Amino acid sequence: MSACVQTRQFADVQFTPPQGDYKLLVLRPDVTVGSLTTGGMVEPRADWTDQARSNIVAALRAQQASRGGRVQFIERRTELPGVTADEIADVERLNYAVAESIVIHKYLGDYLPTKRGKGLDWTLGEDAVRLGQKSGYDYALFMHAEDQVASTGRIVLGVIGLAGCFVGFCAPNVGGATQLDYASLVDLKTGEVVWFNVVQAGSQVPGIKFGDLRTPQGAEQMVERLLGRMKPGAAVRRAQEAR
Amino acid sequence: MCIRCDLSRRSLLIGGAAAAASLSTGVAEARIRPQDMVPLVGPGFKPTDKDEQGLWKEMERAEEEIAGSNLLVRDAALTNYLKNLIGKVGGPAAQDFRIYLARIPEFNAMMFPSGFAVVFTGLLLRMRNEAQLAGVIAHESGHFLRRHMIRSWRDMRRKTDIFAIGTMLAGVGGAAGGVYMGDYVRLAELGTLLSLFRYSREMEGEADAMGARLIEQAGYQPIEMSNIWRQLIGEQQASAAYRRKRRDRGYDLFATHPAPEDRMADLKADALEVTVPGKAYETGRERYLSAIGDYRQTLLDEQVKLNDPGASEYLIQTLALDGWNGLLRFYEGEVWRLRNRHGDDVRAAQSYAAAVVYPDAPADAWRWHGISLMKAGRAGEAKAAFARYLTMKPNAPDAAWVRQMMG
Repeated sequence: MSACVQTRQFADVQFTPPQGDYKLLVLRPDVTVGSLTTGGMVEPRADWTDQARSNIVAALRAQQASRGGRVQFIERRTELPGVTADEIADVERLNYAVAESIVIHKYLGDYLPTKRGKGLDWTLGEDAVRLGQKSGYDYALFMHAEDQVASTGRIVLGVIGLAGCFVGFCAPNVGGATQLDYASLVDLKTGEVVWFNVVQAGSQVPGIKFGDLRTPQGAEQMVERLLGRMKPGAAVRRAQEAR
Repeated sequence: MCIRCDLSRRSLLIGGAAAAASLSTGVAEARIRPQDMVPLVGPGFKPTDKDEQGLWKEMERAEEEIAGSNLLVRDAALTNYLKNLIGKVGGPAAQDFRIYLARIPEFNAMMFPSGFAVVFTGLLLRMRNEAQLAGVIAHESGHFLRRHMIRSWRDMRRKTDIFAIGTMLAGVGGAAGGVYMGDYVRLAELGTLLSLFRYSREMEGEADAMGARLIEQAGYQPIEMSNIWRQLIGEQQASAAYRRKRRDRGYDLFATHPAPEDRMADLKADALEVTVPGKAYETGRERYLSAIGDYRQTLLDEQVKLNDPGASEYLIQTLALDGWNGLLRFYEGEVWRLRNRHGDDVRAAQSYAAAVVYPDAPADAWRWHGISLMKAGRAGEAKAAFARYLTMKPNAPDAAWVRQMMG
């Protein structure tokens, strides 16, 4: 009850996790860290966000290096040589729409009969292929992380709610810190979204923590949860088992 | 399950911040006086508080998205004009503002917390002169100068905090004392909500008063700000009357903006207050018309295609108060033609015929004038109109068809 972490990944049936010498482009990890106010609003914090972002970038770099990949982070749309800011913006927006569709049809229950048994069957199409040709990268990784840290007031509220259980007004689930991260990996040779993962972590009781992105350990834990256990697609797995 | 709601919470924040500052429609409490509206920020303002820094950080990304949006009008002359205008009526922060023109045929403009404004093209269509446009831009600047976004954010945070603690204490205290507090909690919830909306309307009042002060200082006719609301009320009434509905008066406890009638009345009082006797004020109509120039046709075109003939007709009539011309007559005809009720073809034909009398009639006015004449069986005159169309637009996509019509 206190805190739970959920993760669920989907992969293209033909997907094999990148290994060895590959070039990965990370389109600016989209990170926000905010404070959860007593009343339940999220107050974005610039300093926490910057801290979390640099922790995540460091953790991701270390993790990908251990797999043999070379990673390049793009902070601004103008930073990629040979590709215009508009082209990157187009791919980013397209990815946002496609990711939303993946979430609706894979996570939120509106399953599509036409995509049953096909693993992850989404693509960014020609735009992503062109991005790969122009930039020379093999994969693009889109990452989103949002973390809400319960403020002291929120924690106090949770404590009163729990204390109320002794007098008959029980409100233990005020809701504390929550974290939501998702990542999608796009193969820039085919344009297909080959792998997608969502990690959701939340504590119902404010004050219980589970990996704070503002610390290097917390960021490492998050990157590990999100990208560490990348599984191959169904067809690849079957082939491996048959061998 | 919460991927969407978490995402929407973030967009709600951005949307909410924009909505809090947007100028659309909506009980004014006591009028706020322009002389009390002192700017709270100076030139080159940068936030120093944690919460405000966080808000600005979010806005950085929002601005990047907006600045790169394909909805923006990239016409350099037009965007420079807007930039100069906000530079004129932006008060102390005039040089810090950024302003973007979005191609959306609606009456709106908004200021974001970090000092960038978005103006919809629908606003440009409705403004009769530079003073009116300056009034709207000054209103938006007022939101920034009075630090409305962070003030409303803090107000919301404080009230939701008090409500959360209050609910919890009422519940726990009530349970300990054996009393059911649920109804009071409901009441407190409504109270919190209502006070949030009230706060938002108060800020709109502040921005209006600040705006009146700013345009007066820049030498614009202060009463023009009040006229904007008169025009908007008229437009909404015309639009509703056509649809046989009553205008949504936007006058209720949940409104984020004061009712247009109240704003119109308050702005009129503001204008009287700020006007310095003997000072010459301008409306800048000529300058405005030359700034929007050829773009006015696009603005009219987008409006008439909204399928809101009541509003479109009212707008054209309002713009024509400053004098009819070929462009306005042509689009008057377009409103009738697209409405297509019994007798509208005749009305449209009359408008096209009136349009081509003016030297500024667009090529399409000649085309439709030709088609109307053809329908009326006046082939000879139609031919001449078509010929005129083809000389004006030799590469028209329908040139071959028009030639065939000419026989």
